[in-house]
Amino acid sequence: MKHVVVFIEHKNGGARRSSIEALCAARPVADALGGAVHAVVAGAQAAAVAEALKAYPADRIHVLDDASLAKAGVDPLVDALESVARAAGPALVLVANTMIGRDVGSRFAARVDAGINADVTGIEVRDGRVACRSPKLGGSTITTCAFKNTDYGVATLRPNVFAVTAAPGQGEIVALAPSGKSYVVTVEDEVEEAAPELGVEEASVVVSGGRGMGGPEPFTGMLHDLAEAFGGAVGASRAAVDAGWISHGHQVGQTGKTISPQLYIAVGISGAIQHKVGMRTAATIVAINKDAGVPIADFADLLVVGDAFAIVPELTKLVREAKAVHA
Amino acid sequence: MKIVVTVKLVPDTNADKRIDPATKRLVRTGVDIVLNPFDEYAIEAALQLRDALADGSTVTIFSMTPESGREIVRKALAMGADDAVILSDPGLAGSDVWATAYAIAHGIKAGEFDLVLTGTQSTDAISGDLPGMLAEYLGIPALTYARELHVADGRLRIKRETETGYQTVSAPLPALASVTKSANEPRYPSLKGIMGAKKKDIRSLALAELGLTKAVGGDGARTEVLALATPPAREHGRTVTAADGAAGARAVFDFLQSRHLL
Ligand SMILES: Cc1cc2nc3c(=O)[nH]c(=O)nc-3n(C[C@H](O)[C@H](O)[C@H](O)COP(=O)(O)OP(=O)(O)OC[C@H]3O[C@@H](n4cnc5c(N)ncnc54)[C@H](O)[C@@H]3O)c2cc1C
Ligand SMILES: Nc1ncnc2c1ncn2[C@@H]1O[C@H](COP(=O)(O)O)[C@@H](O)[C@H]1O
Repeated sequence: MKHVVVFIEHKNGGARRSSIEALCAARPVADALGGAVHAVVAGAQAAAVAEALKAYPADRIHVLDDASLAKAGVDPLVDALESVARAAGPALVLVANTMIGRDVGSRFAARVDAGINADVTGIEVRDGRVACRSPKLGGSTITTCAFKNTDYGVATLRPNVFAVTAAPGQGEIVALAPSGKSYVVTVEDEVEEAAPELGVEEASVVVSGGRGMGGPEPFTGMLHDLAEAFGGAVGASRAAVDAGWISHGHQVGQTGKTISPQLYIAVGISGAIQHKVGMRTAATIVAINKDAGVPIADFADLLVVGDAFAIVPELTKLVREAKAVHA
Repeated sequence: MKIVVTVKLVPDTNADKRIDPATKRLVRTGVDIVLNPFDEYAIEAALQLRDALADGSTVTIFSMTPESGREIVRKALAMGADDAVILSDPGLAGSDVWATAYAIAHGIKAGEFDLVLTGTQSTDAISGDLPGMLAEYLGIPALTYARELHVADGRLRIKRETETGYQTVSAPLPALASVTKSANEPRYPSLKGIMGAKKKDIRSLALAELGLTKAVGGDGARTEVLALATPPAREHGRTVTAADGAAGARAVFDFLQSRHLL
């Protein structure tokens, strides 16, 4: 394992931020191993995505620009990743720990009999060996795992943890040959629902609502507005999801998403252990709750006791003003 | 149609989970073990498909678990599954995601299957990587994160959740699908179901029956735990009582500025 191969997920001609984070995380690892960083971009508008990736620290950007691939699900993406990894030789493969990243990374891992380190928040190289840190058991334990018995290793990186560092002008663009295979999966259509641009896993600011929201309106109204002012996403507790106020994709916690945003604002959420395990690795936690005695007081950096319906709209105004000044 | 549902047994969510510092494995003794809550959606989806087809289709539960998990697997039979297979072998101890996927795939291949359903993640590992690996080793397409499943004319068609909506995706059988929480409301076993499950068959499968060419268990695993650490606990932060909305908003705003978040 000397080279680092990064799978780039993209949409509408732009790489997802979590994939750019993975690309940036690859650089110091490849340098420590004495290898190169390869990025793999396949699908519709891949050429445009690759061009923009030149701003980040890749040595080679392998491109397969083919709009028809989008109709075949992840299988052609796995083939593209496999061809680059096999040509590079024994390699560490990085994907973002997103829905597509997991699908591609896991299928690739089985194809080359590689181990997977999941939900990685740190990578180090010790005596030429790659070791990955991951929070386990709801963040109560941090494991450091190496790969063994394998020429390839796959790590799925938790979004929002690895810093993005610009390093212009390095990546050489290389065309990737199509696999020539025919694919059996068909994506028949795609529907965008009323959902934020970013999922809660990737957003650096998440504004979540709980049972205290009392109904669906705040999730498309005041919470949405506050999240939007930050350029973030709306999350929810299970109580809110079970009540049908917002879809399960937004749920944070043990039976929802585990996230590490820079800022987590919990509105009308008590902070039960099953919620806590999904967000306790956020860099900063702010809670707004009308009750001072809630469990979230024990682990929030700031708890403001008061009525969320009065506070949140005022806060949105302040955030918008501040952002307008800096813009 | 033969439907196989993979089910993991996990420590109860309310149990105090810990990893043994000596073996670096999850402690599974002295805690209540339950069906992975996510897998109940896959079981329910399988039962609904079987009952809608009403053509003699069957649902088989497949779990890689120590023999001690046998009676917990029976809960899935009480929900209505037809039979179960448990892959239990001391040689599997210490398996990582790779070894688990490799062994389960060969265990499933030892029987018949047209459709394999899994949960989307387990509450103890939360990797969500097993479904994709399993499909690859079975040599079948994977349609993941299904919130709706239909089978017609030899094709599986699902609504696949995405971060911002959903896709309609289809593939020919045999295929694998992972089932999300929004797919259904898992049923509780009825008294009749519980009684009936006592007579249902739970077959044990041993490693030797799989003809594996690669080592599994701790020796064959592709990953190895080097170290365990406990992260520093989060501190009890500041509590501010807001006189009104504007004061509460100002308290949050000032705090965010002090942290350079604005
Ligand atoms: C197996 C299992 C898995 C689970 N998984 C999850 C999970 O993934 N995610 C999850 O979140 N939960 C999960 N739970 C549920 C969890 O135990 C809690 O029940 C849930 O998190 C509570 O949600 P809540 O904080 O929104 O509701 P509550 O605990 O009811 O809290 C609502 C809060 O709103 C406050 N409030 C009310 N009105 C206002 C107002 N006007 N202004 C300000 N504050 C107000 C109240 O003071 C209260 O603190 C799980 C439970 C189990 C058993
Ligand atoms: N030991 C196991 N036996 C059977 N199925 C499993 C096992 N481990 C994981 N699975 C299946 O794989 C899914 C994803 O689990 P994981 O990848 O561990 O998060 C689960 O929902 C189960 O359906």
